[in-house]
Amino acid sequence: MQTSWLPNRKKVRLVLKNTVKKRGMMMQGRKGTRKWKALASTALSLLMLVTGCGGTTESSSQPGTNQQPSEAPAEETVKIGLILSATGTFAPLTESIRNGFELYLEEHDRKLGGRKVEVKFEDDEANPQVALRKYRQLVTGEKVNLLVGPISSAVAYALRDEVEKDKMILIDANAAGNDLSWKMKSDYIYRLSFSNWQNGSSAAAYLAQNVGKTAIAIAPDYPAGIEVVAGFKGAFEAGGGQVVKEIYPKLGTNDFATYMTEIAQLKPDLVFTFMTGSDGIRFVKQYSDFGLKGQIPLAGPSEFGDQLIIEPTGDATEGIIAGIMYSPWLENEANRKFVESYQKKYNKLPNMFSVQGYDSAQVIDKAIAKAGGVKSEDLVNVLKGISFDSPRGPITIDPKTNNPIQNFYVVKNTKKEQGIVPEVLQTVEKVTMPDTDPAQ
Amino acid sequence: MTLSILSVQLLTGLAYGMLYFMIAAGLTIILGVMNIVNLAHGTFFLTGAYVAFSLLSNQVSFWIALPISVAVMAIVGIVIEKLFIRRVYGKELEQVLLTFGLAFIIADAAEWIWGTEIQTLAVPSLLDTSISFGTLVFPVYRLFVVLVGCALAALLWYFETRTRIGAVIRAGVDDRAMVSALGINVGLVFTGVFAFGAGLAGLSGVLGGPLLGMYTGLDSEILVTSLIVVVVGGLGSWRGSFIGAILIGLIETLGKIWFPSLSMLIVFLIMVVVLIIRPQGLFGRGVTS
Repeated sequence: MQTSWLPNRKKVRLVLKNTVKKRGMMMQGRKGTRKWKALASTALSLLMLVTGCGGTTESSSQPGTNQQPSEAPAEETVKIGLILSATGTFAPLTESIRNGFELYLEEHDRKLGGRKVEVKFEDDEANPQVALRKYRQLVTGEKVNLLVGPISSAVAYALRDEVEKDKMILIDANAAGNDLSWKMKSDYIYRLSFSNWQNGSSAAAYLAQNVGKTAIAIAPDYPAGIEVVAGFKGAFEAGGGQVVKEIYPKLGTNDFATYMTEIAQLKPDLVFTFMTGSDGIRFVKQYSDFGLKGQIPLAGPSEFGDQLIIEPTGDATEGIIAGIMYSPWLENEANRKFVESYQKKYNKLPNMFSVQGYDSAQVIDKAIAKAGGVKSEDLVNVLKGISFDSPRGPITIDPKTNNPIQNFYVVKNTKKEQGIVPEVLQTVEKVTMPDTDPAQ
Repeated sequence: MTLSILSVQLLTGLAYGMLYFMIAAGLTIILGVMNIVNLAHGTFFLTGAYVAFSLLSNQVSFWIALPISVAVMAIVGIVIEKLFIRRVYGKELEQVLLTFGLAFIIADAAEWIWGTEIQTLAVPSLLDTSISFGTLVFPVYRLFVVLVGCALAALLWYFETRTRIGAVIRAGVDDRAMVSALGINVGLVFTGVFAFGAGLAGLSGVLGGPLLGMYTGLDSEILVTSLIVVVVGGLGSWRGSFIGAILIGLIETLGKIWFPSLSMLIVFLIMVVVLIIRPQGLFGRGVTS
């Protein structure tokens, strides 16, 4: 998942510069150009200023009280740095993760592992460069004990060597890049969401057995899109299916009409698609607009059974089969409690990202309690293999991949009184990521 | 490629071109008449869509929400012109800073009011069907967008060439001082033009809502798109924007089929090629010194 905000700011700069230059020439001739150049560069630096310093730091401590990194048991506070993407298309994910995290803190008297918690939030703008700067700020400046983040896998990869060097625990609340469990695995990074491999593969066997043998796979042209499709393809073909065509539109595509016509022509048994955010919403709506809904079954990973896409698109999502990791209607004790208190606090249903935030707080709580402190070495020991009951069902952090072993649910979005509800068709138990890339 | 596929693709491209035209029209008119690059244009688009979203959520019909949103954006335009833009006529640096600042403030306010979740507008039930071309279907709503785009172009043409207001505006573009000397209140004309441009942004926001959705960051995407259309079409020429937008819509759509790996670049390639061949844009007035 990658934001389109930043590249766009760059585009704004580019176009702005062109427009401004041309206008300058038109109106004032050559003499004016210099003035316009100055203007363009001012606008440019303004842009950079705004993009660079957009972060907010929420602080509850008084400035100037130079706290020592907490070794002293008298003032047992644990400082947690949240590094997420609050600008652009990732904003709703970040909001949900923070909501979930905050809810867990509130339910536990703002204490994790018996220690008072202080949270520092930074916006990485889904930009690895910005993230590294914010990371430094949090680790060196704020002296946080633990980090929770990031949304984007590109950011996670950029932070990876830094957390290794600083021995700083990073609880990965979202980034799904496979290599965090394979080539780039680190003892200091533990994922509480899921990997692209898990997300793509979970429903594939069900689809091959029950829906159809030929599929078109369509996903945005960026690492997550390619990894999810690879996960799907591997499992779908192992189950006897065949991916007849893979289509990779650019990320942030407005119009999928071209691809809809292609799908209508090729008439596969099903279409598997991975899209996030606005792309996903547009895709689902256009799939229905172009008359494919009800003709060729549409299937997808977690995103397509999640509230972030179901709520705004409504009936267009009806009939989609998705392999999901969470829905508010899952029946287990932890979920019932979670949904109730989430709705009470935020007046809306939680989504999978809310659970990721909630569980990030939960795993820190359990790990500190078990390790009896916040020393990274002790936490590493307890985090490997830690299990607990999440609203999504039981989860265990696999010590081989630092990725959760968790249930996935094959669901079909069904129209009910309260709207579209993802109804569970099959529970895929203990989806475990392979230790190494199965494609190699 | 059969005829039915080709016609569906051409219609798709045309529909997107028309949407681009509506998006860029407000920007290009303000630029042409008032010589202001309104960098808050994308934000006006998004706000217009959000206003319609609020109305639709309260069971107001699409056909009533559309004019209300346009009116709301026009009023916002009047207020902004009277309070701020008025003070910076002829000062390019201030204009850029001002409109860019406004864009941030309004976008943040919109995020505060409507949240960060991605929303969409429902297609009005009257248009929520599709027509078939052989084996393929095409949504009627997009045809409606094409129609509105054509109607808008016809309306602009009529205003510009056949009415007194059009004559005053054309005169104002050429020689503002002379028009003032003839006893015409140029300030009022400018307020009207800015309100019209903002209203058009609102219109395209409501019509684009069902196709593009609404989310934080869309405002800057829209601004970039409309700036490209304006640059390709020729600065300040709405006819240029009309042709440029259709051209971009068609090339982008067809390019996705023929050169799928270039789809990310195509729009910018068009801009680069146009700027190399005709630096003033397709319908620009030419570079004068």
